[in-house]
Amino acid sequence: MSNSGEGVGRTGGVTDFHPIAKVSVGQILGLVEAIDEVGGVADVATISQEVDMDLDRLGPILGAAEFLGLVTVEEGDVRITDLSRKLLHANVRERKAIVRDIIDDVPVFRLITDMARKAGRPLSRQEIIDVLSARVGSHQAEDLFKALVYWGRYVELVRYESQSELLTLRTPSK
Amino acid sequence: MTEPDVLLQVKDVSKSFFDNGKEFKILDLVRFEVTHRDFVCIVGPSGCGKSTLLRIIVGLEEPTSGQVLFEGHPIRADNPQVAMVFQSFALFPWLTVVQNVELGLEALHVDPVKRRAVAQKFIDAVGLTGFENAYPRELSGGMKQRVGIARALAIEPLLLCMDEPFSSLDALTAQNLRDEILQLWSNPDLPPEAVLMVTHSIEEAVYMADRVIVLSSRPGRMVAELEIDLPRPRNRKEPEFYGWVDEIYSLIV
Repeated sequence: MSNSGEGVGRTGGVTDFHPIAKVSVGQILGLVEAIDEVGGVADVATISQEVDMDLDRLGPILGAAEFLGLVTVEEGDVRITDLSRKLLHANVRERKAIVRDIIDDVPVFRLITDMARKAGRPLSRQEIIDVLSARVGSHQAEDLFKALVYWGRYVELVRYESQSELLTLRTPSK
Repeated sequence: MTEPDVLLQVKDVSKSFFDNGKEFKILDLVRFEVTHRDFVCIVGPSGCGKSTLLRIIVGLEEPTSGQVLFEGHPIRADNPQVAMVFQSFALFPWLTVVQNVELGLEALHVDPVKRRAVAQKFIDAVGLTGFENAYPRELSGGMKQRVGIARALAIEPLLLCMDEPFSSLDALTAQNLRDEILQLWSNPDLPPEAVLMVTHSIEEAVYMADRVIVLSSRPGRMVAELEIDLPRPRNRKEPEFYGWVDEIYSLIV
């Protein structure tokens, strides 16, 4: 299902959402665009200068892009992948579909969506947090939950009501 | 069409503030036009009055002298043909994404069913499908600004005004959003007919605009009006691009 195979679900564990937990889609796309503009490859220091961001802030975004299979990092050089190029030439809707294929394959995302499918009813935030806490501890579970909701909404596979704290699955719009 | 394609006319607009009988001139005889399918950026150093100019253009403030005409008539603040995107997003925190987008349509008395459909169309156009029932606090900065853009576009304005729309965002998010706005702009089926954007970033102006209006520091006077004839999509690393940036820098400094 994944069309990258370069970094997705590498660890296979439940914390594997961690690299994209505190990064936005826009930041990742912005990074890919910036590297593309300087020829598709650049060292980390150059990128940091180009995008006017220190390494503390850039690091997690680079990590997220690598995790999604959008860049490779080797000896300090960051190179965009074919998947990146595809993403750069896609419109808003196509971009979502590409990212959806990746996210849908991430084990922890699967874990929760399978759980919702099997339950056949909305899942409460608390029951998801409980499942996640048992695996990663309660502190990380909160971050992981937020990330699941954020990315799940972005790829249009998850609907979440923050007032009722209920999560349901949805079918992406065409 | 009898009239040529002129949408907006800014005619010798000046603005002063008065304090204890002393006059502080902010803008001095600014004059330009915006036509159909025009993407115009106003650029100038901070304090040159460019945001004030935009507020005058949308009718939120009165000029001290001069006038602003929209389709030949004096501009009014409640003109539904003009929409505004703000630097600070200006979202209502207690409303969801879709409710925020529907606000402008509510003011136009669009019925609820149509309102929802139109809001959904523009939420989709800016890539926010999936976040309809999220609250602003659940969104990243870039997504908040997308809501601002969707809300502005939903009233299907002829002229979209943007006041430093990217300056509260980090550099990466900003660049991504610039590109997506240009993507929307290149779609002739979507509003608006013209864009007028204020920015302090010369690079941003050259990246986005067909025309750049350069203002001096206070009082803001028009130093130049330049036609940026670079093909799109533009590459900020190309020498031609930098030629334009350098030229504008030399005009301001």
